[in-house]
Amino acid sequence: MAEIHSVLLKGDKCEGCTNCVKDCPTNAIRVHGGKANIKDDLCIDCAECIRTCEHNAKYIDADRLEQIDNYKLTAALIPPSFYGQFRENFDPGRIMSGLQSLGFTEVYNVARAAEALSRKTASFLRKSNGFYISTSCPVVVRLVQKIYPELVDHLLPFKSPVEMTARKAREELSEESGLKESDIGVFFITPCSAKLTSVKLALGQEESYLDGAIAVREIYDHLYPYLRGENSLESGNSGKSPSINFPLIPYAGIKWGQSGGEEDLLHKLKQPEVLSVSGLVEVRKALDELARNNLTGVRYLEMVSCPQGCVGGVLNILNPYQAKYNIRNLVRSRKEDLFSSRAEEENYAFKLESGFCPDQRGELDVDMEKALEKLARMEEEEEILPGLNCASCGAPDCETLAEDIVKGEAERIDCIFMLRQEIQRLADQVSNLSRELPPVFSEDDAADGDRSRS
Amino acid sequence: MGKNVILEEEVEARNFERGGEVSSRLKTLLTRLNIDPDIIRRSSIITYELEMNIIIHSRGGKIVASVEKDRLQIAARDEGPGIEDVDRALRPGFSTADQDVRELGFGAGMGLNNVDKYSDNLKIHSDEGTKVHSTVFLSREDEENG
Repeated sequence: MAEIHSVLLKGDKCEGCTNCVKDCPTNAIRVHGGKANIKDDLCIDCAECIRTCEHNAKYIDADRLEQIDNYKLTAALIPPSFYGQFRENFDPGRIMSGLQSLGFTEVYNVARAAEALSRKTASFLRKSNGFYISTSCPVVVRLVQKIYPELVDHLLPFKSPVEMTARKAREELSEESGLKESDIGVFFITPCSAKLTSVKLALGQEESYLDGAIAVREIYDHLYPYLRGENSLESGNSGKSPSINFPLIPYAGIKWGQSGGEEDLLHKLKQPEVLSVSGLVEVRKALDELARNNLTGVRYLEMVSCPQGCVGGVLNILNPYQAKYNIRNLVRSRKEDLFSSRAEEENYAFKLESGFCPDQRGELDVDMEKALEKLARMEEEEEILPGLNCASCGAPDCETLAEDIVKGEAERIDCIFMLRQEIQRLADQVSNLSRELPPVFSEDDAADGDRSRS
Repeated sequence: MGKNVILEEEVEARNFERGGEVSSRLKTLLTRLNIDPDIIRRSSIITYELEMNIIIHSRGGKIVASVEKDRLQIAARDEGPGIEDVDRALRPGFSTADQDVRELGFGAGMGLNNVDKYSDNLKIHSDEGTKVHSTVFLSREDEENG
């Protein structure tokens, strides 16, 4: 069966340590049988376990560049964060033409859809009440669906810029060529595992408009030699020169690649009540405050699970700080900090086809009465367990072990302290038994046993 | 099915650092009980406000949550000094918070008003100490019938 998730485990490399177990935001990992197991229904593909693993035992199952050969026409979708991946700060037009030289028919900037979405968001906020959470980061969407289902109605009800661009690319390519759907391949150059998962497990719609997602790393390896070489747009001396003139580079939208970018654009659009939060730990804390209605005045939350924004995605090349700096530098140097197009020129389909639904997890039982019984038993187990949260049992903490015990997925003696206690009890029992006498012996026999034999 | 106490937590006066812990705890418990997300949201807000009220206004207290058949009850009890005029305290913007607390950005007078807004039933009794008893129905039908 094909895997649903893109974060996977290399069994032979896993040492069975519990670092990833403790850092997983949805408690989706247990170490059983010496290996980490990721629970499919809880994983949100945030890649925290990849960041934590010291043994490189987790990997991301991305698509390969060769896959574009399966299609007659292909589109590459460039994420805004991609422009921050080069220390040389190559010109965006050159990067786009470089991608065409790798074999893509057309190259699209997701940043363009990001600009359009910012505009749409600003007008949506003016017409609505309450607060909304950005839905561009699939980890944030899945986290809300599973852990904060009470906030699902506050997810911005629009497609992500990637899906908006994918739909547009698909439409344009099929219109221009007259080819059938299956001949057109739309690929996203992905900085993270979560976008990859969204190809198979679409969010807010029946299915994704993407055919695949290729890791930034893989593209980089092929693209970098081209960018370093003479072959460039400016020199115009190449046989591989691009077939079209690229539209204006969406510098404003490129800001979306680092945290604070979306906030920046909304400020420009006169929507000041925006808060930007990045990094999974921070995102969770802010969602906690939102859940208890404790973020006053905020109308919109730009939330990205990777530190520093999409530049912090695990499939990138440069460290997030350098990449963030590069993007800011790129945008500033152009002084074209404004939107690349006018609203009326853009014809994106913003609306989600099916919308976001809660995907609440963590119930002890679907029946509340049974769940109450299990909750009481869980509390008893927690009382017995040592409360050290050492994770040696393979669960992240004692509370989760208690939960697993009640669900029948673990045993009390999975806890080494409980095991030790049990061994102690047995040892005492053995020792007591050794002092028991067969009926034919007298107490004196037992006391003088050694002497009488010598 | 009798009354099941699912949470019983002490709340310390003036300990702003820990404000929100009881609310988060209740949310975790309600999730385990497979309670509807909307109920979880309302209960989280109610509990947070009650928790903060104890922290801001009282000499310390306790929050107890229990589930009984079709309803969730959140009870807050504190050791005083008590609310002089309960009706006024329920009005939006009315607050008796002292200057220290206001300087910290709390005490805007929306607390009890919010509790009232998100509860299906609210009882407040106050003399020396204060007892607040908020009820949230667990399903829509109960709301209509109850």
